[in-house]
Amino acid sequence: MTERKPTPGSLREATREVVVKNPLGIHARPAALLVRAASGFRSDITLEKNGQSVSAKSIMGVMSLAGYPGSKMLVRARGPDAEKAVEAVAELFEKRFHE
Amino acid sequence: MTPLVQDLMGPRAADLNLRVAWGEEVLDRPIPEPAVNRPGLALTGFYRYFAHRRVQICGLAEMNYLKTLDASTRAERWRKLFEAGIPCLILARNLRVPAELLAAAQARRTPVLRTALQTSRLAQVAARVLDDLSAPMLRVQGTTVDLHGIGVLMEGPPGIGKSEIALGLISRGCSLVADDVTELRRIHNGLIATSVDVTRYHMEIRGIGILHVPSLFGVASVRREKRLDMVVRLVPGHRADIGSRIGVEPETIEILGVAIPRVTVPIAPGRDATLVIRAAALDFRLRQLGHDAVKELDEHIIESLTRGAGRVHD
Repeated sequence: MTERKPTPGSLREATREVVVKNPLGIHARPAALLVRAASGFRSDITLEKNGQSVSAKSIMGVMSLAGYPGSKMLVRARGPDAEKAVEAVAELFEKRFHE
Repeated sequence: MTPLVQDLMGPRAADLNLRVAWGEEVLDRPIPEPAVNRPGLALTGFYRYFAHRRVQICGLAEMNYLKTLDASTRAERWRKLFEAGIPCLILARNLRVPAELLAAAQARRTPVLRTALQTSRLAQVAARVLDDLSAPMLRVQGTTVDLHGIGVLMEGPPGIGKSEIALGLISRGCSLVADDVTELRRIHNGLIATSVDVTRYHMEIRGIGILHVPSLFGVASVRREKRLDMVVRLVPGHRADIGSRIGVEPETIEILGVAIPRVTVPIAPGRDATLVIRAAALDFRLRQLGHDAVKELDEHIIESLTRGAGRVHD
């Protein structure tokens, strides 16, 4: 489930663990979908895998994560719409990037 | 980072030009001490202080020495060498793998590699490759360009225009090192910037998509890695509080324990940031050469003020 951690002021943080479920992993098209979804939020959104953290709003960043099928990552959002952002990103993983 | 034997066969170890003589399946052995050792002394039977955690290198000297021994002693020496738990053994000059060596390696499931390099050359190259493979590494969000020989990492929030500025610099003759994700590793007292393998030589420009830079701008428009000289921090232009207006105090940031000069450049709509970044990098180079524009201008101003003051008192 999404963890909520209220931080001082309006800065909220939410995280959720996701699994890459689509057969080809995060190649260019899923990366583009993910970045487009993430860019619609004001929060800073990152994807973390194996100690590497990249911005979910950067297509080069997302592709560099090597999200092969079955790999796990952590979605983290910080900002006023953190919960919604994590929700939207996690949904894409859940729906296998419509593949 | 602890390198594995298989990293000695990877792209960053291409200069070693190694081939596997035995142990294709056991190449995932770690190299606990990323350095090389010539096991001549151990092969004479003196195993105390044997640097068994290092990559072992044998050449003509070791092989010719062993030929002076009888077969059973030879087998015994190889056996003891491998029993110490060495990560792997490399033979120089494409030397043939003697049967006793092969048996000892197989018994301890330790890879044996070969190269055409001469032993001393092999030792040098292997030491450099191991340094490189074991260097501390950090992945940062930022675009790196080689700006007329100056390695510049641009960092800033998504959408501020790092890639667009890089594109502008590339079309003015600079080369792209990494777009948006830069991998830094510490070698000696400096940082080397490179891109992540999967996205190398590509960049993303909003509204256009992903570009293959050398296809559009030629092979000179990219380079695989570059020593990092400075960081340019891009901030939204409305933050007027940021940055000095005359540029006197050089700021540095620490990355992997290395201090790197950093300048902060506010980006406002309509400002040709490409030119600003280029000027910032060239000014940095000028300072390195011993010219400090601000200091020289200030001295000039002070001198003319002093002269002016003198005139008033006359």
